[in-house]
Amino acid sequence: MRKKKLGLLLTGVMMVGLLAGCGGKNADSPSPSGTAAGTVQETAPKETVKLKFFTGKVETVDLMNTLIQKFNSENPGIEVEQEYQKDASNVIKVKFASGDIPDITTVVEQDYIDQGKYLDLSNEPFWPRVLPAVKELSTDVKSGKQYQVATNVTMAGIFYNKKIFQELGLKEALTWDEFKANLQAIKDKKPDVTPLFIAGRDSWTLGHLIEFLAHGIIKQDLGVKSAREAFINNESDKLKFDQENGPIDTFAKRLLELQAAGLINKDALTATYDNQKEAFATGKAAMISQGMWVVADLLKISPDFQNDLGFSPYPSIQDGTKPVVLSADDSRYAITAQSKHPDEAKKFLEFLLQPENLKTYSEFLKSPPAFTDVTADWGPLKEQANQALSSGVNIAFTDSPSGFSGDDAGRMVQELLAGQYAASLDFAKAYKDAWDKAWKATHR
Amino acid sequence: MNLLRKLWNNLHLFMALPAIVLFGLFFIYPLAQGIGISLTDSNGMSPPRFIGLQNFVDFFHDARAKKDVYNTVFFAIGSAPLLNLFGFLYALILDRPFKGKGFVRAVVYLPAVISPLIMGYVWYFILQPDRGFLYHLLASLHLGTGGSDWLGNANSALLVLVFINVWQFVGMTMIIYLAGLQSIPKELYEAGEIDGAGYLKSLWYITIPMVVQSIKINVVTNIIGSLSVFEIIVALTDGGPGYSTESLSIYILRMLYGSFTGYSTAVAMILFVMIIIPVFLFMRYINKKEFEM
Repeated sequence: MRKKKLGLLLTGVMMVGLLAGCGGKNADSPSPSGTAAGTVQETAPKETVKLKFFTGKVETVDLMNTLIQKFNSENPGIEVEQEYQKDASNVIKVKFASGDIPDITTVVEQDYIDQGKYLDLSNEPFWPRVLPAVKELSTDVKSGKQYQVATNVTMAGIFYNKKIFQELGLKEALTWDEFKANLQAIKDKKPDVTPLFIAGRDSWTLGHLIEFLAHGIIKQDLGVKSAREAFINNESDKLKFDQENGPIDTFAKRLLELQAAGLINKDALTATYDNQKEAFATGKAAMISQGMWVVADLLKISPDFQNDLGFSPYPSIQDGTKPVVLSADDSRYAITAQSKHPDEAKKFLEFLLQPENLKTYSEFLKSPPAFTDVTADWGPLKEQANQALSSGVNIAFTDSPSGFSGDDAGRMVQELLAGQYAASLDFAKAYKDAWDKAWKATHR
Repeated sequence: MNLLRKLWNNLHLFMALPAIVLFGLFFIYPLAQGIGISLTDSNGMSPPRFIGLQNFVDFFHDARAKKDVYNTVFFAIGSAPLLNLFGFLYALILDRPFKGKGFVRAVVYLPAVISPLIMGYVWYFILQPDRGFLYHLLASLHLGTGGSDWLGNANSALLVLVFINVWQFVGMTMIIYLAGLQSIPKELYEAGEIDGAGYLKSLWYITIPMVVQSIKINVVTNIIGSLSVFEIIVALTDGGPGYSTESLSIYILRMLYGSFTGYSTAVAMILFVMIIIPVFLFMRYINKKEFEM
């Protein structure tokens, strides 16, 4: 029983063994400009081709299964299988290394693009149908090609409870001072409501705070394209991670400010994403920072919540900057370069990109489509989302090094909230060190 | 004929062959591979380069690693002795004849049947401040709010982890001690009684020397288990807040996933040595002791 743990560890060591064993073989892997490594050997057409679809999106597993069933019945010669892993962006590394390579996947990482792990999709016929902004985000900044396609746009910002706001006569905050005043008003007048609920046990939620609030300053200063280049190439003179009163330092100060004033939940470190959804949907919390992916679950918890649901941009955390709202590519797909059945994988991708299927997907996920020929009735926040998009600067997700995921950044924010940094600037410096270390590991 | 006879007489040597092959394939070979990788800067993707002992040097300058070593050792020093002490006491008590003995044994052993991962989540729901079962229980009894965040503070979280681990696996240790106790011939105690040995004397001079095999098994498995602790921490704190309750096993896994394959392997080697040394020292000590007995 207890030896299992040793077994687990040895498995880890073995996995490393596998990784290395294959690392050598991949030494001459194709550069991103190369074409598919897998040469298609047309065997007898009667044989069923098994396609592996690898996903990290828990919320779409059931929906994908229905779509896959439809596809399999329409295409007798092809059989798609879905595999879901919680830690997909890490598991795929092991898959690449051990040769258990999926044909099509939702996991797209810059480092893997650089390694030539994905098939070039630049010449596929669907690109004219994609929103220009999303196409830009799907373009690899180094080669100018598209190795991925996104089907949806997702947004993130501050969700707030309209009922509480109306009751207290509050308005959506655009500056930090307004935001803090709102929180304070809620705390003073409604002592049993948490002004801003933070789900710190799930470190990715804290990683998002850095990605949207702190990186938001960098992204609006540089603009979408330059910001992506700065993150991908680690141009530290532009990122200014460790600068005093720079983006990270300011972010840390602001967060500690809220904590000191008691404007976030006491258990910010141990509350989970589920606790957060529960508290917000039942009116026990007035505001949360989340993305559109949360809406479907909120309405599951309390169906009438729809009318009280408000959405606004993130306030500007630094004087002289603008409020931001995440508006980014979501639900990405990429075909692996080593797939043995690239043509069938493309066929499956084409199927997923059919307008009717995109519409089903958007309406299920309650998230706007990224294709111009799809009109989906995607949810109660349509109006407010458009308003937020016009009142805040639209920013994208951060292209962080694969060794420094949102979870890792989130764990550093946990440390910050647990009071393990003497000063906010120490946090900023530690953040830069961690980022640089991870970036160097894959750039040499 | 002669050859056949030779084969027949040495057949026992071939019997061990499958085991040796498997051991080589699944232990020696990966270990050798691992040592090789721990000397490179492999990131799991690009071709690895040889960097000598750099990873091991880095380890000793790595603040997070130091903290993880502290957590792991703290956990082991907290768990292993307590497990053996309570396991042995439970075994002594439950070795006596009384009504409902089977039931009590089952209750003590029960937690060990459940996966530590599930156990961790269950305890998480008990200990969560403001929402957990314990909070509601204490509130309903008017015993303060129980609002202290046990898991939000590194030191108390470690203590909680040790407590849960001991409570969960004490049954495991107990069963092995019980087996040892029941194999002691009754005549020894009778002889001791005639010679006028009291309970404590017979415990010291008869029981403990006779269960030395059980002590060996228990101490070794507990050292190995608690130094490579993984699941319970993942479930209860996920190494948090921050990295303050991270164990070395978790660190190894996270580094392995996060582009630091070479370094991760080096840490795995270090952990391997960290486990081997106390086990080796203990075995040497106990074997010497046994010889004296």
